[in-house]
Amino acid sequence: MNTQLLMVMQVKVSTVLNIGAVPHGARRTAPLAGGTFEGPRLRGTILPDSSADWQLFRSDGVLEMDLRATLRTDDGALISMSSFGLRHGPSEIIAAIGRGETVDPSTYYFRTMLRFETAHPGYSFLNRLIAVASGDRRPEGPIYTIHEVL
Amino acid sequence: MSLPISSRPLMVVRLATSDVHEIGSTPQGTLTIFPVVGGTFEGERLRGRVLPGGGDWVTARGDGTFTLDLRVTLETDDGGLIHMTFTGVRDDANNYFRTMPRFETAAANYAFLNRLLAVGIGEIRSEGPVHNIEEIL
Repeated sequence: MNTQLLMVMQVKVSTVLNIGAVPHGARRTAPLAGGTFEGPRLRGTILPDSSADWQLFRSDGVLEMDLRATLRTDDGALISMSSFGLRHGPSEIIAAIGRGETVDPSTYYFRTMLRFETAHPGYSFLNRLIAVASGDRRPEGPIYTIHEVL
Repeated sequence: MSLPISSRPLMVVRLATSDVHEIGSTPQGTLTIFPVVGGTFEGERLRGRVLPGGGDWVTARGDGTFTLDLRVTLETDDGGLIHMTFTGVRDDANNYFRTMPRFETAAANYAFLNRLLAVGIGEIRSEGPVHNIEEIL
């Protein structure tokens, strides 16, 4: 599989809403307070009012992340992004993340796959690709390194 | 700071499809259903057959690309059942056919599939679609 860097995205997470125990795990919703993204072909900001990460902590210890975000490029294009991801790792690492510590992202699995939709002709290449990301959960929010799958 | 992405082969899935169902032009695009009537899958860690009863819901979009929405059941050679789904994009003009498979299984030997993300590279062959699936490490 060949990939190339699409962008690095820094997400700011707002106060997490704990839905609690649902039939298939523990659910919480993390609204996004904003963020930025930057890559060779696009850069801009994450719009807070239509962006959140719907998370489900499964009984096998895996966190499922279902994120939707609206991006605005520096030249005004709107891009809808959806990302589905998994996060898991040794319990002491996951506990450290939970305490708000910064841990080495290579010590746990945090990957997502992404699709984009836009009507802006300058970014229509995004409609035609899938992407994968490596995540790094920082106390203020995750940093995603997003790669286009070639 | 940017993190690397690497992958390793998971399996090759070969699908046998029967005559398509042309649903036709809908508000979402032009929908064609490819029934999956069988097939095989093989990798270092799992192998077996694709059970009949799945399919790929393929929508032709206005920009010349297709979106894919597949679900099938895999049966391993030791009797494990794996629910596999993917969404993806096919862009024939750019020879791009990539998918994002996901797996669900209760078979303990294959629980690792519940915990990984994967990318498939698809190809249309005369005998049917072939998907080279790699695990995202």
